[in-house]
Amino acid sequence: MSSRSVVRIAFVVFVALMVQSAVLVGVRVGVVHPDLLWLLPITAALIGGPEAGALVGFWSGLAFDLVLPTPFGLSALVGCVLGHTVGSVTAAVDQRATWLKPVVALVGSVAADMLFAVLGAILGQQQMVQVDFLDVFGVVGVSSLILVFPVNRLMRWALTAESARRSLVSAQPTDGALW
Amino acid sequence: MAKSRRSRRTLTVIVLVVVSLSIISFDLNGRTHSLTSGVKSVANSVYSPLRQGVVDILSPIGNFFAGAVHYGSVQSENAKLRATIGELRARAAEKGFESGQLRQLMALENLPFLQSLPTVTAQTQDENASNFTQTISIDKGRSDGVDVGMPVVGSGGLIGQVIQSFHHTAVVRLITDGESKVGVTFGQGANALVDGQGPGNDLTADLVPPHTPLHKGEVMYTSGLQAASFPMGIPVAAVQTFHTSPGASQVSITVSPQADLSRVAYVDVVLWAPAP
Repeated sequence: MSSRSVVRIAFVVFVALMVQSAVLVGVRVGVVHPDLLWLLPITAALIGGPEAGALVGFWSGLAFDLVLPTPFGLSALVGCVLGHTVGSVTAAVDQRATWLKPVVALVGSVAADMLFAVLGAILGQQQMVQVDFLDVFGVVGVSSLILVFPVNRLMRWALTAESARRSLVSAQPTDGALW
Repeated sequence: MAKSRRSRRTLTVIVLVVVSLSIISFDLNGRTHSLTSGVKSVANSVYSPLRQGVVDILSPIGNFFAGAVHYGSVQSENAKLRATIGELRARAAEKGFESGQLRQLMALENLPFLQSLPTVTAQTQDENASNFTQTISIDKGRSDGVDVGMPVVGSGGLIGQVIQSFHHTAVVRLITDGESKVGVTFGQGANALVDGQGPGNDLTADLVPPHTPLHKGEVMYTSGLQAASFPMGIPVAAVQTFHTSPGASQVSITVSPQADLSRVAYVDVVLWAPAP
């Protein structure tokens, strides 16, 4: 992966972190707010495959962990597993399918939140399973359906930094070739 | 070729998972926690002003759009007038907000339950950064004397406890968080444990034996018993409902916080550390 891609991905993660903490945290339905974090590995996996998803999930999770009160490293672990899983599961699916991004964003975000809460509880943070999961899944899932499109655009811009000079953006996963 | 790619991919994921687990264990281990805490402290020193800058930039834009949406049905030739009205309303709302903040600050100036305990007044920066915890971030940290374990109060009573302290900021766990437990006393010296039940849920008061005299609205105060996490006498919650099921070993009590946790623009950190 070129240094240009690394810089662009870091920029996208930074923008996502700022939007999350300065804007989305204030957009509440009840006591729940949308969560942008999981969309980063999901879109990276859809564009770049499982390895890209895992790497972006790990680093973006780690960046979010720096400002979250939950155990340090937990978001990185979930992001990494999420990115790899999404990349592997969707490898055989036609990436041009219009339903793919919203469906994967919805299912992936909900699954990631569930894994995040359960792992947190296993690590001793019992309060993480004392939330109203239906509310959390509803708000995070529906908001992910909408937010996946701008995030996907940003991630495509970041991940295709080197190949963009040679050709148009590939719609197919590159099976880790960018890395 | 494909097999080699696959195995490299698997190796990458295994390495990342192992690194993540190592970081988590470093964070949860008492001896190495200072390492991750230090990293978070440095990151917060950079992140907090940046975030505040973004908020300062976005707030006026948000106000503008809010005004535009509110007056969306008015004809386009009234745009200038509409903007003026919106601006005036924004100013009025801002004044109302400011006077609300002033009231909160004034209330903090005279908290009877703190007696002679020194406090540091802090402004709330951020609420519930995660959907899975009930926390607030405040703009005072170690450089102001704020440390982990210190109680945080607002007008009305106890708000929570500092769980992370960075150089210029700190994170406070609210008493409604599922992890929060506060030892309280009420009535004729009865004791209980006020237990947070997560966002949107009433708190409960546990360990109260059947037939303990109770009434609705009874206020529970921090007990300050030996090795307690809070000094004694801070109002915590008031009884909402109570009943004893047949054969139960304790009364089921729901309580509501005395402090208004929905509006915590300013809080007082009590410079009191629990006994080690």
